[in-house]
Amino acid sequence: MEKENRFWQIVFLSLPMAVFVILIIWPLTSSFYYSFTNWNGFNSDYQYVGFDNFIKILTDKLFYQAAINTSIWMVAAIFLPSLFGLVLALLIDSSVPGGSIFKSIFYLPICLSAVVVGQTWVWIYQPDWGLMNTVIGFIAQEKFNYAWLAKPDTALGSVILAWSWQQTGLSMVIYLAGLTSISEDLIEVCEIEGASTWQRIRLVIFPLLTPATVVVIALSVINSLKGFDILYIMTGGGPFNSSDTLAMHMYNESFKKYLMGYGSAISVVLFLIALTIIRIYFKQLKKVDEIYG
Amino acid sequence: MYKIKIRNLIGAVLVGQTALFGAQAFAETKTEVTISHYFTGELGLGGLKEIFSEFEKESGLTVKDSPIGHEDYKAGILVRAAGHNLPDVISYWAGARTQFIIDSKSLRPIDGMWAKNNLDNVIAKSVADGATLYDGKRYLVPFGYHYAGMFYNTSVLESVGVTSTPKTWEEFLTLCATLKSNGIDPIALGSKNRWPAQFWFDYLLLRTAGADYRADLMNGTAAYDDPEVVKAMSMWKDLYDAGYFVENSNANTWTDASDKVMRGDAAMTLMGTWITGYWNGQGMKPGEDYEFFPFPTIDASIPDAVVGPIDGLVISADAENVEGAEELLNFMVSNTEAQAKWANIQGALSANVNVDQSNYTSVMQHALATINAADTFAFNYDLSTPPPVAEVGLSMFAEFMDDPSKMDAILERVAGDAASAFKN
Repeated sequence: MEKENRFWQIVFLSLPMAVFVILIIWPLTSSFYYSFTNWNGFNSDYQYVGFDNFIKILTDKLFYQAAINTSIWMVAAIFLPSLFGLVLALLIDSSVPGGSIFKSIFYLPICLSAVVVGQTWVWIYQPDWGLMNTVIGFIAQEKFNYAWLAKPDTALGSVILAWSWQQTGLSMVIYLAGLTSISEDLIEVCEIEGASTWQRIRLVIFPLLTPATVVVIALSVINSLKGFDILYIMTGGGPFNSSDTLAMHMYNESFKKYLMGYGSAISVVLFLIALTIIRIYFKQLKKVDEIYG
Repeated sequence: MYKIKIRNLIGAVLVGQTALFGAQAFAETKTEVTISHYFTGELGLGGLKEIFSEFEKESGLTVKDSPIGHEDYKAGILVRAAGHNLPDVISYWAGARTQFIIDSKSLRPIDGMWAKNNLDNVIAKSVADGATLYDGKRYLVPFGYHYAGMFYNTSVLESVGVTSTPKTWEEFLTLCATLKSNGIDPIALGSKNRWPAQFWFDYLLLRTAGADYRADLMNGTAAYDDPEVVKAMSMWKDLYDAGYFVENSNANTWTDASDKVMRGDAAMTLMGTWITGYWNGQGMKPGEDYEFFPFPTIDASIPDAVVGPIDGLVISADAENVEGAEELLNFMVSNTEAQAKWANIQGALSANVNVDQSNYTSVMQHALATINAADTFAFNYDLSTPPPVAEVGLSMFAEFMDDPSKMDAILERVAGDAASAFKN
């Protein structure tokens, strides 16, 4: 009977294993393989080119531009939603009137798909009639039609703002959950001891929110690494590659310039970067676990 | 024991269902033609469905179509080609893009179907030779073609007292200056998706350096920092510096630019004849509310050339229903009613010589006469040069429109990028 169960365990396990191998392992190893070729993605007659693609990366200005943009994107996409989420959580937790309504409103954007959020913000940034320029024009009392997404200086920052708007709700909810675990007695003691609001937040509340911060940062890291769709919708890496991230650069080289071998080499580098970040993160997570159990 | 029986039963049902599904799929392949295309606009999509419906009635076959947005289509269809996952028929742009996909052995020649249906007598020879023959074989049937001209709002030009359209560059500059001095933006350009800017490059180069030089540039034997290219780009820059283009071109799509002209915020836009389909759908009357004039002559000694794309249909090398696909291709180009309907909906010219020209609006008749009078019909930029090079060039146009003062540096860099793209 046990032998028979073992057989069926293997049978049922084989299905998810097959999916994992086909959808994860096979593409991953294929990318490694193609990164050493000059395949254009369609022709079957490609050649092995050794490390040429990786050497090309070293001299590719667009790659460096994309690497810088990716760094900016990751830092901002982790820092801004976390900060905004913490501030909102503290405000709502301080029994502000209508707190529960605000909580729902601020959380709402996270329920929307990145495509919907991206398109909504494209309209907000529209130079002639978008909300952003209309508000600025109203305040400045003169016509304002800056093209936020069409100018290389502001395209990436504009997408980061839209992204932060969507992700803030998630951070807020996690911080709110963390705040409920802080004893009210402790806060009361702080008040009796004469600690100011800022001191209470900085020296008591924020340190006690460390487990929540770990979760927020973990989710932010994962989400920012996945953050291709909103960038694709809002700028497509443009104007003229100024908001390219490494994922976008890889896509453009592979599917627009038809340099699948080179695109694969970029994906290998991106994979190694992601692996390094995840390793660092898990090491830090282990340390936090040791402190907070 | 009981458990095992249930499992076996589930397994048997699954296997049975799979076999049944496979059998059904096999049976359906012969009565169904699959097609993917990039006509996703409300009018185009609706019109195409009506045409497919007519085909279904006539042939007894079923058409299963999957429309994909224009920009996503460019990359998406090639990804499917790489995976040998193309439908039976795909719409595609004649020229370098079709050559590129033929080089990857993803398409099937249609010489047999061409001869059987005597398409030599159906398709205009001027279109047929340039658009359908690749490496000596027929691969594409033209479904409709377009012409790029300077489309303008007639009431705007009338409002500044302009009664005749410019034929020379000097007259064109005078028109722009007149419009500008009357507080009207002369030229709308929506280069957000980059390709609408290509027509400026095409015409300025064709009018100053000629079709032969342009062909050299498109096939990599001339360079982007040549004096010919610098001259064409400098003339474009002069227009920009004079303030003749609307602000924020890179923030607008071609329909945004068309809307500006329609509303009278701008006077004209250099665009393909598909703009007529768009404007007609918005209630503008051809010949009354809008017209076009050909891109002005700059050097009278250079032969006249016009540019535009040809939309075609091709059959996948892995097509499951080849006969059905060939039947569909033949219907789409040979059926004069379908061709006339498509021409009107999409603002296209029919490649079928038997289509009655009275089906065209006055503007489209004007476009046809302009094409017929030209010495050369050339594919527009991104259909004339290999896709990897076009990618470099299209980005160049957008970068140029952002800051033309960087023109020399942009051209120098693009010369290198294009040369390496040709090598790959």
